[in-house]
Amino acid sequence: MPQQLAIIVLVDVGNALASSTLEGNTYLFDNMKLHGSENQGTGELVTAINGSYWRDGSQASEQVLNWLPYSLGSIPPTVPRGYEVERARQTDEQALAELQELAAKSTVPSADAEAELNRIRRSVGTRVKTTRRTRGRMSGQKIVDVTGQVVTEDATAAASYPAPVITDIYGEAVESKIMYPAEYGSPDMVTDGWYWSATVDTSRPGTYSYMMRVQLHKLVQTNGELRWDPVNLTCASALKITSEPRRNAFTKAGIGPLPIPSTARPGRGA
Amino acid sequence: MKTQVNIIAVVDVIGALSVKTLLDGNLCMVDDGAFDSAHQGTADLITVVKPGQVVSWTALALDLQTPVEIKNISFEPANGHNGAAASGPAMSPPGAHRTTNGGAHGQAHGQGQAHGQGQEESEGDKLDLDVWTGVVPHWMTPGVPYQYRLELQMYEGSNSVMSIDSPALMCQ
Repeated sequence: MPQQLAIIVLVDVGNALASSTLEGNTYLFDNMKLHGSENQGTGELVTAINGSYWRDGSQASEQVLNWLPYSLGSIPPTVPRGYEVERARQTDEQALAELQELAAKSTVPSADAEAELNRIRRSVGTRVKTTRRTRGRMSGQKIVDVTGQVVTEDATAAASYPAPVITDIYGEAVESKIMYPAEYGSPDMVTDGWYWSATVDTSRPGTYSYMMRVQLHKLVQTNGELRWDPVNLTCASALKITSEPRRNAFTKAGIGPLPIPSTARPGRGA
Repeated sequence: MKTQVNIIAVVDVIGALSVKTLLDGNLCMVDDGAFDSAHQGTADLITVVKPGQVVSWTALALDLQTPVEIKNISFEPANGHNGAAASGPAMSPPGAHRTTNGGAHGQAHGQGQAHGQGQEESEGDKLDLDVWTGVVPHWMTPGVPYQYRLELQMYEGSNSVMSIDSPALMCQ
């Protein structure tokens, strides 16, 4: 089986954060329904991995898996990675222009000017505070809703959650050396540049469970400051490995002559 | 002389499923034969071989994550097709296709049938276990292209099996 297998880990981030569990809030899919994967689109996916071996017993194929986490109710993953930064810059520029206009218009403070200032402040949105712990990926960014509009402190319920991040894959399948997972970096913008991949040893059939550690981010407000707090949750899945001998497709046995009819002679353009 | 000739059918599965044909560049066949195979990189590949050589077919998906497998390869006469035109979703399931051809082609034909009838075939039934390999028989007439039908299974569904009749094997 030379082709790679993708497992989509779709997380309902809002509900998972609210109930502090991935159970019932995770939907798993893979592209191997044809080969026997079960429970697609639920949290109970069993990924079928059909191994094969040559007649002499040597392993003919192994399987490569890729896990792709997605978030339900966020900015679509197909939007370029710099989109939130770009949106934040646009709102900054707009606010500056409006401030300039306001400054030129009124030299004396007035109720009107104050209302106008308030309006500008709201349209400018809120930046997430950078702490030592949260420096990096989402720090200093503005909070954006699923439509790409910046949101203000009092409307953070509409915030688009950052995509879930798989931080570890472990459990029975890993401990019994059925699969060898590792995290890779890639220039792929859809998966945010990081993904987990594993090679599966298909020579030992059986059903093996494994666990994924998934990091979500919760928007919290303390002392008027907003922060994305990491929340680590786990989610279980399983691999069902079978293994069968490869076979000659023409003869269903050993190698033989090609089944070319000796009587017929299909010539080109005949 | 090489003992084995490999033929790889590279399939743009998304392209093929979108326009429902393996033509228009959705199928690209290449071999590594030592002789002058014609039409490399097209669906009309004529692989030049010698009797006794082993020919091996492999399908490869352009999109790494869409399963594509060879469903069947058959050397039956082009039965109304003239070979130049080809493709589209297979008109009938391969099993039915075989029975319409009857058993008129002797023992060699029977071997070809084994694939369709020896077992209950469901869509994509462990096709990944199949190794499409065979020896070039000595009874082929040199210089004559023997066209074959290549059937590909692309995941599942009503249009998932497509075939092409234009590639051929030719003895030197």
